[in-house]
Amino acid sequence: MQNPYIPIPVEVIKIVTEVDTKDIKTFRFAFLKKEDEEAFRYLPGQFAELSIFGKGESPIGIASSPTQPGYLEFTVQKAGVVTSTLHEMEVGAVMGVRGPLGNSWPIDYLAGKNIVIVGGGFAFTTLRSLINYMMDEKNRSRFGKITVIYGARNPGLLIYKDELAAWAKRDDLSLNVTVDKGDADWKGREGFVPTVCREVAPSSENAVTVICGPPIMIRFTLPVFFDLGFSKENIITSLEMRMKCGIGKCGRCNVGEKYVCKDGPVFSLAELDKLTKEY
Amino acid sequence: MEKRLIKKETLAGIVGELAGKMRVCAPMKAEDQVLFRVLEAGEKPLVDFANTKNAPKNFLFPRTEMMMKYTRTGKGMVFAGEEETDRGQTLLFGVRPCDARSFTLLDMLFDQEKYRDPYYINKRKRTTVVALACVHPPYTTCFCTSVGGNPVSSEGVDLLLTDLGEAYLAEFLTPKGEALLSAFGGTPAGKGAEKKKEEIAARAAGEIASRIPAREIKPILDTHFEDPFWDTLHLKCLACGTCTYLCPTCHCFDISDEVKGNDGIRIRNWDSCMFPMFTKETSGHNPRPSQKERWRQRIMHKFRYYVDNFGAISCVGCGRCVMACPVNLDIRKVVADIAKL
Repeated sequence: MQNPYIPIPVEVIKIVTEVDTKDIKTFRFAFLKKEDEEAFRYLPGQFAELSIFGKGESPIGIASSPTQPGYLEFTVQKAGVVTSTLHEMEVGAVMGVRGPLGNSWPIDYLAGKNIVIVGGGFAFTTLRSLINYMMDEKNRSRFGKITVIYGARNPGLLIYKDELAAWAKRDDLSLNVTVDKGDADWKGREGFVPTVCREVAPSSENAVTVICGPPIMIRFTLPVFFDLGFSKENIITSLEMRMKCGIGKCGRCNVGEKYVCKDGPVFSLAELDKLTKEY
Repeated sequence: MEKRLIKKETLAGIVGELAGKMRVCAPMKAEDQVLFRVLEAGEKPLVDFANTKNAPKNFLFPRTEMMMKYTRTGKGMVFAGEEETDRGQTLLFGVRPCDARSFTLLDMLFDQEKYRDPYYINKRKRTTVVALACVHPPYTTCFCTSVGGNPVSSEGVDLLLTDLGEAYLAEFLTPKGEALLSAFGGTPAGKGAEKKKEEIAARAAGEIASRIPAREIKPILDTHFEDPFWDTLHLKCLACGTCTYLCPTCHCFDISDEVKGNDGIRIRNWDSCMFPMFTKETSGHNPRPSQKERWRQRIMHKFRYYVDNFGAISCVGCGRCVMACPVNLDIRKVVADIAKL
């Protein structure tokens, strides 16, 4: 019997400090064993337990895309014991990854539709996975128009800056980056994400929006999408809860009868409406 | 199925003798309590007792369990082996039918199609359950008949013993039970013994005075997540967690790491939905911020969510939580009150 609690050994091969405050870094891991790499089949929206023996585990969304073989990436904010230890690690360090866990963004449902991605702050990680997945040359034709609206409090807190610059040059993706407040060097858009969504006003015709961000952003963004005519089935988000096992056993991440770790983390607003309001 | 009659005075000796050949866990007196413990070879277990203070789930899902070992290298801590799984067969003697039923409820969670829990499953496979039917339900707090069980239930049991007066009727229910045939010996049981057992079963079920509307509250819970009822229920709860620790069906756990020098282990420990830290996130946000939400979770999990996910109530009616609660919060009364909502 395979033991789902044993982490897969990986090596840190690249670390990118994403923000000026230096507390958000993207870690790239390579599998130590080829067979583990082949077995790790995932889709955007799934997560994994980052496992550091001696410290513990932390559930983090997978920020790389399965179209980028050979490695996994996770963008992690320094917050608790595990993530603080991770932030002190250097290239060459060995640790563990347990996954892939949870469901994913509903790729088959998204196929053939116009996709509106809305992200706020550092909750952009599995959305970045989805964007890279859809923008991959083998996949791009499966999706309609792709609109991305991404905001952070200030320019220094935008993550994936190189990728944002590369996407801005593409004509098959409409990128709208905004900051709450710019600085002297900022030439881009200023304004809160909900306001920008209203300005960009993506059509709800054959469209699905995928939203991830701080609760306050989501609260003010949802009415915009309702006004634009998006149904609750076509507004999709991802939940976070404290987790331990990640496989629906340890009993702490349930929302109603659903476990966020195994039945989620991705839910449509229509699905969330049916669950208890306890998250 | 093989059925035998075993002379009453021989039973404890048979089990004591088995303890010399395999690991036998059985009810024993410990000061003023009855607790399961491992028998020495030849040591005779209690055969007349009410029920053990602790539920026997500890033998399948220990309160502390090593999951894996690791060791330090130049590049970081690396995996150094799993928990040792090969520890031979265990005989769990003297389990009450309610507690044996709890194993089938735990199976639903730990032995799902996807994500099977190897620690639990390995122990479960190696454990033979010998149950003692409740000829007289031991406590006024017993309510197994309200949650799908009964005093002579054979669910989760490999060998069921029922006291017929002068002898035990031994029903060897499963291959694991049949493996004990030669050890238990006895004489073939006839129709008379079966009839006597049926009479005892009917009388014992009738003796259970506590009846609660456990099934009936499911549709009420479905629609009463938000209700003033939850606002006061928890007020006297001390959040001690005793109810969940003694519960045969509670399965929540925490995973943590312990390091000594260059070696460490990852362990899991029982956890409890009654504790504030259970759901508290690193950010400080807690989706269940007060004892109100934690009590609601405990009730909802047992009588609503488990039914949704597995089609069974996650309570066997042993009454331990009722007896042990330091402030007399009684799950039977909670269920009865919900039925009136």
